[in-house]
Amino acid sequence: MGKVEPPVVNRSLSSWILASNLKLQALLLVVIVIAVFTRVFPLEMQKRIVNQAIRFGELKMLFRYCGLYFAAVVLSVGLKYLISVLQNLIGESVLADMRKDLYHHILTLPLSFFRKTQPGLVVSALVTELAIAGSFIGMAVAVPVTSVLTLLAFAGYLFWLNPLLAAISLSTYPLVLILLPRVQSRANLANKKRVDATRNLAGKIGESISGIHEIHGNGSYRIENRKYDKMVENLRKIRISWNLYKFGVKVLNNFFNNLSPFLIFIVGGYLAIKGRLDLGALVAFISAQEKLYDPWKELIEFYQVYQDATVGYSRTMEYFDAMPEHTLEPEDRNPYELRGSIEVKDLSFVAEGGIQLLDHINLDLKPGEQLALVGFSGSGKSTLAQCIGQLYSYTSGHVLLGGQEVKDLSKKDVVYNMGFVSQTPFTFEGTIRENLLYSCASLVDGDESVEGEAMPSLDDMIETLQQTGIFVDVLRFGLNTILLYDEHQELAAKVVRVREHFRRDFGEELADYVEFFDVDEYLYHSSVAANLTFGSPNKDTYITERLPENDYFLRFTDKADLTRPLLTLGADLCRQTVDILGNLPPDKVFFEQSPIKADELEGYKELAKRVARKKLHQLSSQDRTSLLRLALRFTPSVHKMVRMPSIFEELILEGRALFKEMISHDDPEAIMFYKTSEYIYSQTILDNILFGKSKTVNPQTEEKIHQSIIQVLIGEDLLETIVEIGMEFQVGSKGDRLSGGQRQKLAIARIFLKVPGVLIMDEATSALDNNSQSRIQGLLDSKWKGKSTLIAVVHRLDIIKGYDKIAVMKAGRIGEIGTYEELISKKGMLHELIYGKQAAA
Amino acid sequence: MNSYTENRQLPESSEFQQNLELLRQMDFFSVLSLEALKVFAYLFTREKFSPGEDLFQQDDNDGKAFFIISGTADVVREDERGEAILGKFAEGEFFGGLALLGDMRRLFSVRAQEDMMCLVMTREKFTKALEQFPELMPRVLQATVKGIRLWEKRLLLEPGGLCNQCRKKVGVSLI
Repeated sequence: MGKVEPPVVNRSLSSWILASNLKLQALLLVVIVIAVFTRVFPLEMQKRIVNQAIRFGELKMLFRYCGLYFAAVVLSVGLKYLISVLQNLIGESVLADMRKDLYHHILTLPLSFFRKTQPGLVVSALVTELAIAGSFIGMAVAVPVTSVLTLLAFAGYLFWLNPLLAAISLSTYPLVLILLPRVQSRANLANKKRVDATRNLAGKIGESISGIHEIHGNGSYRIENRKYDKMVENLRKIRISWNLYKFGVKVLNNFFNNLSPFLIFIVGGYLAIKGRLDLGALVAFISAQEKLYDPWKELIEFYQVYQDATVGYSRTMEYFDAMPEHTLEPEDRNPYELRGSIEVKDLSFVAEGGIQLLDHINLDLKPGEQLALVGFSGSGKSTLAQCIGQLYSYTSGHVLLGGQEVKDLSKKDVVYNMGFVSQTPFTFEGTIRENLLYSCASLVDGDESVEGEAMPSLDDMIETLQQTGIFVDVLRFGLNTILLYDEHQELAAKVVRVREHFRRDFGEELADYVEFFDVDEYLYHSSVAANLTFGSPNKDTYITERLPENDYFLRFTDKADLTRPLLTLGADLCRQTVDILGNLPPDKVFFEQSPIKADELEGYKELAKRVARKKLHQLSSQDRTSLLRLALRFTPSVHKMVRMPSIFEELILEGRALFKEMISHDDPEAIMFYKTSEYIYSQTILDNILFGKSKTVNPQTEEKIHQSIIQVLIGEDLLETIVEIGMEFQVGSKGDRLSGGQRQKLAIARIFLKVPGVLIMDEATSALDNNSQSRIQGLLDSKWKGKSTLIAVVHRLDIIKGYDKIAVMKAGRIGEIGTYEELISKKGMLHELIYGKQAAA
Repeated sequence: MNSYTENRQLPESSEFQQNLELLRQMDFFSVLSLEALKVFAYLFTREKFSPGEDLFQQDDNDGKAFFIISGTADVVREDERGEAILGKFAEGEFFGGLALLGDMRRLFSVRAQEDMMCLVMTREKFTKALEQFPELMPRVLQATVKGIRLWEKRLLLEPGGLCNQCRKKVGVSLI
């Protein structure tokens, strides 16, 4: 610590060279010096081979010089590889540092910065633009040093061979040095434009993706395409001129380079003919002269990369050159532990463009008091909550939290004393548990080692899950988990016990809602494959998806006279499903009730055409496998496009008996048949407890089944275990495997778990159903009252009676403030909000 | 399209085909093209309700629409004075279409009075499907507008006329 480092955006590109691994850089230099020597050495050998060995017919000498030549070439290649390796190590580690530092900086920037910044733009900056700068740092030392040294070495050697020729062949380089920067400065200008245009394009893409539902909703494809196409066209033009200038540099360089051999041939040839230069020296000279070209070209290329990197780097850093509004952590003290009082004095907030969102607000809350902010939309209630929560920096006035000015507190002080639940909470990819602990974990910097003492216990977590009403959902995730044989044998045995008790206590009552695994009945809620095997596979070749390719299973379907009916069923499913879903996009909603998966649709569309043309026996064996696959997936209760003929049921039941007989004889290990005494590892915990499948999609019946299961689980002391398993549920990217309500409950739960002194809820329950909303309100009225100061932005007015104070906002001001009774009897704004205009009159 | 006629030759029709027949009789859906109708018939699921079970509850934002294949249901509203049955839905009736179009907290509960079988559509499925057939939106709006107008017209033409209290509150078709 101690030393204050300049923010990453103000660092120069060259400072990164010094920041890179200096030991590696030094090693690189040493390797380069040796490598340069190995490049010049063969030239001398070449001369000696011609002038001495061949001339005097010395075989021994020829072999020795050739041997040395060969060794030098091998060494040179080896060293060149080593140089690339070192360069790569240095460059990539600097690039990684740049990416980390810039990302860390970007995250601390104020929210207002992100309101005008598209996510795509940040992505393109971090991923694309910095890459050029990174690779530049990798070559920053190696390339110029190698090239310059090689150039000097060759040039020295040339002078040693023949000063006149050397002077002639080097005469073109100064010209290049004069012309080059002129062309390059044009290229730089174009490159600057390219960086900006690329960034805008990335921003545009990001915008379209995040707003894709609006585009679909409005069918505004053309509008968006036009906007995008215009930007691409613009970028195309800029890139063309950028590339043309870059090629210009190359062409210019090439031309002058090719000019010098021409001069050498004329002058050197003349001298050789006149006998003033020996042939060996001329050959060596021409070789050496040609070799000048490579380091020179590298140098020019390096120059170009340097220019591109400088432009890209500075353009990127300039964009993010903003400062965080608040320090992240207090220096030399622990975070404050503040009393939960809130005083707002003369608070105003003026947004960009001079729009006054808050206008001289005054408020006073004692620790533990609860305030509801109500008002029309746009009245500033959310803005006020966000200013108090330090999410926006107010422009004038004061907000005092426990007597401290909120604006001057560090972020850490704020998160220690405040919990903020936003209107549109964000759920991060990961498990429920990780999301639940998100707020608590950031208090201890996500440091795993501190976990245990500072982190909430399992009991705390479960209590919070119950309070916020997401407990049942998590339990359901747990119940829908498939246990692994290798890890959960003990738990599996307990679940079998739960199954017995469930059957005993609820079997009759729930018989209508559950389809039990009964060996004599067709299972309408299971696949054809499960109906045939009536067990869970121990061997991979017997899982449903692989059965169509399992030779033993195919022999069985032949023997059971099932092949033909199954193919007919498969063909029927293929035809019907393609007919319905043929033109729909791969959205989960469309494919939940389909035997064809979204990514298989195109294949089955083709197959449907062939099925229409040919008879089943004329299809290729691959097509028959595909049809069989559909048939084996077919689950009557889910796939409603085809009705299963009743004769088929009987065939399958007979097949089930035959399969059991056959496989018990031939491969008894392959399948574990459904038995009430055994855990079924291919099925979820829920199906294992039910020993069957739930038949219902009706939420109330599901609730009934769940309640019964909870009772049994409590009896067996397994409830917490299952909830713990449920907390490992992966919520998906942005939490897309959770419903809106579940995401909001989770967001409330993670703040509740932190037990903040001040709780700010910005319409935090708006996506919840009535019961959940009342439950949470009840909790605020009882458990949190007097403990945490609460500021709630409230949309629904029927839940505000319990608040100590209600502030009605209008046009950025507090119109009236007081208790519910006071305001209602006053018949002012609150009365109007609740009962409407006419009633107030 | 001939695949449809082909299907009708099957000895027993599938649930999907039965749904298709039912949809063709509903005002809300009958206006759709066959291609769209098939997708909707596929997306509708069947749910059973026992007497006393709620199809949805007051204040829920369940976003579902129901078509009653069999059975009857009561429309119930609960307030400070308790529960009151305000109406009834019977076989062949479709209700809840408005909840498919946007967020709506129920003002009523609907409770099964006898064993019921319903076709159920959710808002998520409906909007996703509608995105695929954008040309349907105007028709759906038209059907909705027509529904609202008819509802109010029936109220106004009620034999015996409107009660004085109700007279002040008419005008839903003017929103």
